[in-house]
Amino acid sequence: MATQENNDERIALLQGTLDLLILKTLVLGSLHGQGVARVIQRQSEDVFLVDHGSLYVALQRLEDKEWISAEWGVSENNRKARFYTLTPKGREQLAEKTGEWRRLTRAMGLILDSGHGMQGEGA
Amino acid sequence: MSKRKRSAEDFAAEIKAHLELEADELKTEGVSPDEAQRKARQAFGNVTAAQGRFYMRGRWLALDKLGRDVRFGVRSLLLSPGFAATAIFTIALGIGANTAVFSVMNAVLLRSLPVSDPGRLVYLRTSDQPRGTGTIDTEQTFSYTVYDALRRRTHAMSPLMAYVPLSGSKVAVRVGAEPEEAEGDMVSGTFFSGLGVNLPLGRGFTEEDETQHAPLAVISYNYWTRRFGRDQGVLGKTLFVNAVPVTIVGVAAQGFEGVAGSGSTDFWIPLQDRRELNAYGNPTEDGKLYIANSTWWCLRMIGRLAPGASRTQALAELQPTFQTAAYVGLGGKPMAGEKAPVLSLADAKSFPGYERMYGQPLRMLMAMVGLVLLIALANVVMLLVARNASRQREFSVRQALGAGRGELLRQLLVESLILVTVGGALAWGFAEMATRLLGRWAEIESSLAPDRTVLLFTLGVLGFAALLFSLAPLRVALAGGAQLALKTSAATSNADAGKSRTGKIVVALQMALCVVLLVGAGLLIRTLRNLENTPLGMNVDGLVVFGVNPNISSLAQGREFYRNLTDKLRALPGVESVTVMEERLGSGWSDNGNMEVDGRLPGVANGLSDTVRSNVAGPGFFTTLGVPVLAGRDFADSDVATSPHAGIINEEFAKRFLPNGNPLGHTIGTNDGRYTMTIVGVAKDHKYRSIDEAPIPMAWYEYAQIPMVGPMTVELRVHGAPLAILPAARKAVQQLDPNLPLIRPMTQRAQFNTTISHQILFARLAGFFGLLAVILVATGLYGTLAYRVNMRTAEIGVRMAVGARRGQVVWMILKDSLVLTVSGLAIGIPLAMLVGRALASSLYGVGPIDAVSYLLAVVGLAVVALVASAVPAGRAASIDPMRALRTE
Repeated sequence: MATQENNDERIALLQGTLDLLILKTLVLGSLHGQGVARVIQRQSEDVFLVDHGSLYVALQRLEDKEWISAEWGVSENNRKARFYTLTPKGREQLAEKTGEWRRLTRAMGLILDSGHGMQGEGA
Repeated sequence: MSKRKRSAEDFAAEIKAHLELEADELKTEGVSPDEAQRKARQAFGNVTAAQGRFYMRGRWLALDKLGRDVRFGVRSLLLSPGFAATAIFTIALGIGANTAVFSVMNAVLLRSLPVSDPGRLVYLRTSDQPRGTGTIDTEQTFSYTVYDALRRRTHAMSPLMAYVPLSGSKVAVRVGAEPEEAEGDMVSGTFFSGLGVNLPLGRGFTEEDETQHAPLAVISYNYWTRRFGRDQGVLGKTLFVNAVPVTIVGVAAQGFEGVAGSGSTDFWIPLQDRRELNAYGNPTEDGKLYIANSTWWCLRMIGRLAPGASRTQALAELQPTFQTAAYVGLGGKPMAGEKAPVLSLADAKSFPGYERMYGQPLRMLMAMVGLVLLIALANVVMLLVARNASRQREFSVRQALGAGRGELLRQLLVESLILVTVGGALAWGFAEMATRLLGRWAEIESSLAPDRTVLLFTLGVLGFAALLFSLAPLRVALAGGAQLALKTSAATSNADAGKSRTGKIVVALQMALCVVLLVGAGLLIRTLRNLENTPLGMNVDGLVVFGVNPNISSLAQGREFYRNLTDKLRALPGVESVTVMEERLGSGWSDNGNMEVDGRLPGVANGLSDTVRSNVAGPGFFTTLGVPVLAGRDFADSDVATSPHAGIINEEFAKRFLPNGNPLGHTIGTNDGRYTMTIVGVAKDHKYRSIDEAPIPMAWYEYAQIPMVGPMTVELRVHGAPLAILPAARKAVQQLDPNLPLIRPMTQRAQFNTTISHQILFARLAGFFGLLAVILVATGLYGTLAYRVNMRTAEIGVRMAVGARRGQVVWMILKDSLVLTVSGLAIGIPLAMLVGRALASSLYGVGPIDAVSYLLAVVGLAVVALVASAVPAGRAASIDPMRALRTE
């Protein structure tokens, strides 16, 4: 993160959202960690900055929760890599978390878009 | 999780793979290989940090979460300080009381003797003693002859140890110039080595010390601290025991105060063979000391089972030797029709006397504080339920935001852990204080300091409490569920909790337990009142009593000593009259046996006992005590060695053994016919050993006429404050012999009260715990009702808005508590009856179904219920319907 310039428009991920993004990325099939990072970055049109170190810790956390499973394999360019797959439990979680996220953003949207903004009291 | 844990190496390999993949990808995007590697590493951030996070993930996460939970818990408790303080204080009281009583019970009943391998130690017991013997305890004491025979059977006991006190109470000792008193035992040479007691200073005794009757002493750690200020130079100092010099050679391990049960031994000397140091300080019998007197069974014995010997084997080895030795000096075998006594072995793991003295009261107390604890825990649970119910919306919101049930449970656990931890710490301090008080009241001199067992017990209770506190409210917390967050009305979201039946059941059960405690306390307090108001048959006010143990060299000199002493004391200003006696009244001791009446042992009709309690008394005995002499006369100065032997009996003696005609003039005497006396007086029945005894035949010898004289108790009747005479009395005694202390000086009233000290203690504690239970129940009931009123504010508002009068509202709330009280009584009274029956043996003058106690308990509970409901009812009545509805 330290290397990014000041005018960078990418946003550091909110805590907790990374898990959701990882699960979503794995819906289409198994991927290795580097692949997950790339996909998130590209699909968010380079808005999200994924700290690779955090990514692996997050992957490990999800694996511990048994939402994803992992297996060593070989990448398309013949390198050894650890591939992650969504488990049925992970799929359930994805659906649930997506729902929560939608409700949250909708609520946020409602408030932010409503006509009367927040007024400071007194002053 | 059944999955294998992933290794750190595997994780490192994955990172390496990632860096290579990333570099590959950057290269395909046209970055130079070196630059690609650098960039890949940069994008990754700190590799070792990531690895560190991987490594720590489990531990760190848990710790971090715990930290957050604790902070959150403390914050949310601080938000309701009233709740937190009540809960913590209740926990501290409930658990503290339990810890205190348990730690006394542990020290007195459960803890092992402070010796090595106590499991191999056994006390020797006999089924009985042979006829024609004198005893201290019919099951526990043996003659020296028996001890000497048994200790040679080393295949059974290795070693066998005997011990015997130098006095029934305390013995005169002198270290400096002033005479003092202390508790001392004579013991076998193998006593310390056989028991395996450590001596932090000096040495114990050897078998040689016993055979040579060496003038040595080992003092207890306690005595060393109390009397010598833990002076290292105490070894080699001389202790004068009954004026016999003995040299201190050792200090026993801290906590070792002898094996004899109540009281604590201050010093031990090897078994002695001299007149001044006879067992129990008794005078010699026909010139024979305890060692030579095979018919005086006064020694207690404890043995260590020989290596490899089982209890059965040891007993089989000892039994024949015992049964032979028992009849040495008694014709060698049992008399016709007499069964030979049987030896048995008893566990020596704990103090034998304690079980008998404190066993039942302590178990009862434990049960009582157990009930108090139940009430206290139930109170806290209800508090938590109420609190958590009002937090239902908080829980629902948190669940809606994704908190799992596990997380909520953890939060509740942490909150209750905080309560329990703080409460537990307070409880421990409270218990330490209470234990010290208990020890002082009960006059238990051995160490009551809590040990590991007590700590484990307390932790166990605390753990149970923590679990209970977290599980109970969870049901309510989860019952709400996420959807509840959507409800906003106070009436709708809280009504379910308000109607919760569990709370009512808990309060009703608490009330039931409270009834049990109140009835128990009532029975015990009434027992105490009865005991205190029991007529003693004498006028104890103005009586003061103390013991003297003079050095007596001959019968004549001994009699002379007491005559001089009596004269000196009579001359003191303020003294009305003076007398002496052998067994102190109200000390629990008595001399029991049977007596010949008119030359033969009397037959007794209708199966009554032929036991007679006898005592030896001096001139003016009954006058001094204030016991009426119904016929004949009191002992007088004119009763001397050369005049006809005079005896006095009590009413019960006359009724049982001389039912027809005038008892005066009849001859009575010892059961061996060697001493006879003529009945010159009949005294009114009065208390002798203790307050709660029933009348029993008694006879008194005159001390100047019997062929024996030893330590005596002096009784003074004085004008004014009884204890004020003591300095003058002490001076008078020391004019005769500067070595003599006054032994256990106290008022006669206090002396009699020692015989009911356990009942006093028991009743006071029962009263205290009863009161505690009442307070807890009151707060519990108040809390529940107040909470229900709070929950129903809206409902009450509606009712009042549609025309309910205030009286009706008040009645609605009072009805609640009335129903609870009645159900509590319905459950509690039968329970109390069961408890009353269990208490029956501890009661005096009241039956287990004592109407007054029950009535008081019922009234007490009703008052508590009324007081506890008054405030919530008042609040309900003052609800302003408009405001209550406006909050909707």
